[in-house]
Amino acid sequence: MTFAFPNLVPVLPEIFLLTALCAILILDLFVSEANRFLVYAFSQLTLVVTAGLLVMGATGAPISTFEGMFIDDPMARTLKIFAILAVALMLAYSRSYNSSRGLSRGEFYVLVLFALLGIMVMVSANHFLVLYLGLELLSLSLCALIALQRDAVRATEAAMKYFVLAALASGMLLYGMSMLYGATGSLQIPVVASVIQSGTADPAILVFGLVFIVAGLSFKLGVVPFHMWVPDVYEGAPTAVTLFVGSAPKIAAFAFFMRLLVGGMGSMVTDWQPMLIIVSVLSMLLGNVTAIAQTNIKRMLAYSTISHMGYLLLGILSGTDAGYSSAMFYVASYVLTTLGGFGIILLMSREGFEADRLEDLKGLNKRSPWYAFMMLVVMISMAGIPVSVGFFAKLSVLSAALDAGLTWLVVFAVLMSLIGAFYYLRVIKLMYMDEPADAAPLIADTDHRVLISVNGAAILALGILPQPLIDLCTMAITQSLRG
Amino acid sequence: MSMNDLYLLVPMAPLLGAVVAGFFGRTLGRRGSHVVTILGVAISFIASVVIAQDVFAGHSFNGTLYTWLSTGNVSLVVGFLIDPLTVTLMLIVTFVSLMVHIYTIGYMHEDPGYQRFFSYISLFTFSMLMLVMANNFLQLFFGWEAVGLVSYLLIGFWYTRPTAIYANLKAFLVNRVGDFGFLLGIGLVLAHFGTLDYATVFSMVPQMAKETIELIPGSPVSLLTVTCILLFIGAMGKSAQMPLHVWLPDSMEGPTPISALIHAATMVTAGIFMVSRMSPLFEYSETARSVVLVIGASTALFMAFLGIIQTDIKRVVAYSTLSQLGYMTVALGASAYPVAIFHLGTHAFFKALLFLGAGSVIHAMHHEQDMRNMGGLRKYLPITYWTAVVGSLALAGIPPFAGFFSKDAIIEAVQATHIAGAGYASFAVLAGVFITAFYSFRMLFMTFHGEPRMDHHVREHLHESPWVITVPLILLAIPSVLTGYLYIEPMVFGNYFGASITVLPENGGLHEMRQEWQGVGNFVQHGLLSLPFWLAVSGIVAAAALYLKWTHVPALIKARLMPLFTVLDNKYYFDSFNERVFAGGARLLGGGLWRIGDEKIIDGGMVNGSANAVARLSQRLRRVQTGYIYHYAFVMIFGVFALMSLWFIKA
Amino acid sequence: MDFTTVIFSAFALTLLGAGMGVILSRNPVHAALFLVLAFFTGAGLWMMLEAEFLAITLVLVYVGAVMVLFLFVVMMLNVDLDRLREGFWQHLPLGAGVALIMVAEMVLVVSSKQFSKLGADLQPASETVSNTRDLGMQLYTHYVYPFELASVILLVAIVAAIALTLRKRKDSKHLDPAQQVLVKASDRLRIVSMRSEGDQ
Repeated sequence: MTFAFPNLVPVLPEIFLLTALCAILILDLFVSEANRFLVYAFSQLTLVVTAGLLVMGATGAPISTFEGMFIDDPMARTLKIFAILAVALMLAYSRSYNSSRGLSRGEFYVLVLFALLGIMVMVSANHFLVLYLGLELLSLSLCALIALQRDAVRATEAAMKYFVLAALASGMLLYGMSMLYGATGSLQIPVVASVIQSGTADPAILVFGLVFIVAGLSFKLGVVPFHMWVPDVYEGAPTAVTLFVGSAPKIAAFAFFMRLLVGGMGSMVTDWQPMLIIVSVLSMLLGNVTAIAQTNIKRMLAYSTISHMGYLLLGILSGTDAGYSSAMFYVASYVLTTLGGFGIILLMSREGFEADRLEDLKGLNKRSPWYAFMMLVVMISMAGIPVSVGFFAKLSVLSAALDAGLTWLVVFAVLMSLIGAFYYLRVIKLMYMDEPADAAPLIADTDHRVLISVNGAAILALGILPQPLIDLCTMAITQSLRG
Repeated sequence: MSMNDLYLLVPMAPLLGAVVAGFFGRTLGRRGSHVVTILGVAISFIASVVIAQDVFAGHSFNGTLYTWLSTGNVSLVVGFLIDPLTVTLMLIVTFVSLMVHIYTIGYMHEDPGYQRFFSYISLFTFSMLMLVMANNFLQLFFGWEAVGLVSYLLIGFWYTRPTAIYANLKAFLVNRVGDFGFLLGIGLVLAHFGTLDYATVFSMVPQMAKETIELIPGSPVSLLTVTCILLFIGAMGKSAQMPLHVWLPDSMEGPTPISALIHAATMVTAGIFMVSRMSPLFEYSETARSVVLVIGASTALFMAFLGIIQTDIKRVVAYSTLSQLGYMTVALGASAYPVAIFHLGTHAFFKALLFLGAGSVIHAMHHEQDMRNMGGLRKYLPITYWTAVVGSLALAGIPPFAGFFSKDAIIEAVQATHIAGAGYASFAVLAGVFITAFYSFRMLFMTFHGEPRMDHHVREHLHESPWVITVPLILLAIPSVLTGYLYIEPMVFGNYFGASITVLPENGGLHEMRQEWQGVGNFVQHGLLSLPFWLAVSGIVAAAALYLKWTHVPALIKARLMPLFTVLDNKYYFDSFNERVFAGGARLLGGGLWRIGDEKIIDGGMVNGSANAVARLSQRLRRVQTGYIYHYAFVMIFGVFALMSLWFIKA
Repeated sequence: MDFTTVIFSAFALTLLGAGMGVILSRNPVHAALFLVLAFFTGAGLWMMLEAEFLAITLVLVYVGAVMVLFLFVVMMLNVDLDRLREGFWQHLPLGAGVALIMVAEMVLVVSSKQFSKLGADLQPASETVSNTRDLGMQLYTHYVYPFELASVILLVAIVAAIALTLRKRKDSKHLDPAQQVLVKASDRLRIVSMRSEGDQ
């Protein structure tokens, strides 16, 4: 039995992150309540250094280590950097919210960083076991985060639901993976891919496993009919956690799809394409239609997320490189937009007031024209109206689906986005046309204000000049898939 | 600094100036704002001069700087095409803009919107430069719309005046008509050529010359003709050709510097520039050129008539601009694109001069614009007077002033053309010469000569304008004298434009002229003996007779020819026609569609109907979310079951 | 049918029966005990596969630790399972129908010939080296990355458990002797200078 010491260089960012978060865990014991800011600052510093390590270590060609269990390719690096950016923004947005709600504990930051580690592991996984462990790391951290506000009944309930359903989904995923293992005799994704391609595996077992894998993946993405946890968790969790649940994990879910379906079972595209079409159609329909009836903005955004994930699937299911990179572009723009939207909700909330009902947005323009404008930008981006990044995101996934010959699906998606535009525009109407119910001025920290403005500006800037991000996604996908 | 950076610097310097003055104007103060914008334009002008030297040394450039987006095989890019045609326009735009910037310091110094004004005119300079430097239709269209937007903002600069708001709305709407045609033209190019890049499109023209399309099924028409006419409709809007000219006289509601910059020297010539740029397309369609010729000739003649009866000093200059734009368009129709650009250049200088001169008068008269209340200003405003004389002589076409050369060249080019409408056009341009000389000197005499007619109070305060106003006048007077003499040989008869303008050998007017060319001296000599010169002189004499000698006669003539005067006073009823038919019709149609189409069918039936259906569905779906965990789990399991069963059924 | 098949069938049937017992029994303590039985039979199956280490670990960890804890909780909370299972019978027909079809489909797939081939190319465990050692070798060399990840997951579980349960009660009235001995006179006694009555 020979064993070569693994090359640790590609894993350096993950190793650093883990070490730093253990250090923060210990640091937290020694700082007093007044110096809690230190924990926050160290967390942000950790993110900066991790991102720095990722950028510095970037190489063009895919490198794998740990006997092929870990893969470091341009797609992984890009997605990791997206995720780190999302987490950094999320931490900054939620700082004052957390401190006014007793959430600003060391555990919050540590759990967020654990979840980020889970995301990074998943993004780089090239082995079923690693993929699954990364997923559990993420799920468990998220679950703890949701329940962190112990005295809130809704949060505990949401965490409970998430935990049980995630366990069910994990079970399905494991079952599917074991079927694939049974059919191909390996857990290594490239080996599985080559066995499937060679045609020696029994197709019935493969499809059987595929069904369970699609179900498990769909749960992570939160698409119909595996979406039931999404609205309850979005609503029940503290807004800061909702922001987290709605942003970075979607990047991991996208990577999950890419690794398992495209990387592992790419040659079975004719089998999984129809499954994803069903899921995508249901998500776009149910997400957009149900969002209209919501009165709680977090719930509304939950359904909006469901529909967005349906659009994201359009890119993946077209089964082409252009489709995958459009889906990657979609997930990046979705995360950016979601961060902005929740950032404003967080900004509006204050001690003892969540600002999570649609009514709370009434007359925002009169209270603060700038934030109202930022929210407007977020909403037009979510609705996919031009001069926002959301428009190009929708356009690119739709054109990918069109190129794949799925014209009817594109027509349906466009119709659904018309319905979707209704509730996004209703938010704009509330902000600009209605009288404010509450005249309290909005108070926010300088960093929060600046970041919100930068976030909104980025949505607009990428809506005018999307090419750099599109190019980045295309580069990441083609170099990672085609070597 | 490489040439590429220099190209980029030309539009970016004014843009930066505009942004700084626009967003930080309040902090910078008035002085800071004008310093930063003038600096931007000056840098741009100097860079243009350097580029011009480089281009005339033989270094053209055509390249993409930035790919904005690429979808499929069409890329939308920002790129520059730097050739003799472009640099000519760049020099004119930056020079006139610089003069106007300096002039504005004096003219607007009391205005509360000082910084805003500087920001706008710098933004305009940027947009216009993007327009002329474009190497593709998209960027051309961007520049086209951007100058339109700034023009809209500047006409309505004094937004508290209802007339200004009316005028800018009118300019905006009329330009929409033109832009619609323009956009359709660009659409046709994209659809049939598959690209928006100039060079590619032009290289494909010869093989597309025989292409036809069916606008009405069953009757094919030449693709190039349709495209050219649509593009020309765009030019008609921007360059104010009949019948889309109605906005330009009203645009005089804006401050005088922008009348000089935008509505005389630069933006309105965008159409002329565009057609010259598209010369490879227009050369292949005689029908399109005939349309251009006839419309240009009509504008040249009929708008000149209107100049005779105006009493507002700026409106006289405005109508003369319309008429001169007509001249340029005639030159385009006659395939004499270099001549059109030549006239564009000389006209930019002397017309900016006349506008700024008129502005100087208005400034001195405390914003009085009616010439009936002026007179005898020669004594009080000597510099303004002499520069106005130069401008008027150039406009009237008296040698050796610039206008003489360019106008004579146009007349010769038209006479050498034989396409449909050429006879009408040559009559129109000849008659126009007399009328032009007449109204321009009528204006000069009414303003500067005769008895002072202003009230006592104004008269006491009359004095020459400050140096920031007079220096630009003098600087503009110099090219108004010299450019004609210096540039007629290279621009019209030489190979100045190189490959940037295409004239096919069979469309020969220009080629014939070139064969007969025997030097500038000879041209002047010939000009002194020919009809246009004597028409111009007689126009001046007639003006002198009516407005210096027998000043009671004009009133008599007016009384005798009352019906004709009414027609002219109502500007051929274009405005009332538009107001009644288009505006009224649109209101009627809109009202009808609103009440029946929108409220009944769309709102009542489709929107509310479908919205209600969606809302009902939404309420029902909402109830699915029960909150019970075992329901959720069951839905998931059922999902797996459904997916699995589907595959079993399939297999 | 040889002896091992008989043993296997016995274990397997007991396992299924115990599983049913977990969800069907009315008394939560019974349900927990059924789960213990399920673990035991599962361990027996592993034993038959010569995976002794896993079998023993299952018994030690799950039966010995987890289930005992579970029983404690169930007894302390006095959960009323019957109330929780309201609607069980009502939804049974639909649930059972779906379950039956799914089982049928699974059987169709799993009975495929592919699975019978699977064991063929697997190496039997070494005769000389113990099962535990073999497992250790694998875990600490080839599978070191997943192993480390699993340890991180445990760390998350610890952090989460503490974060969710440990609370410093503000309302408990206990005394801290360490603080008490550090007290100074000035903390307890304040000398206030007052004008005496006679001065007034």
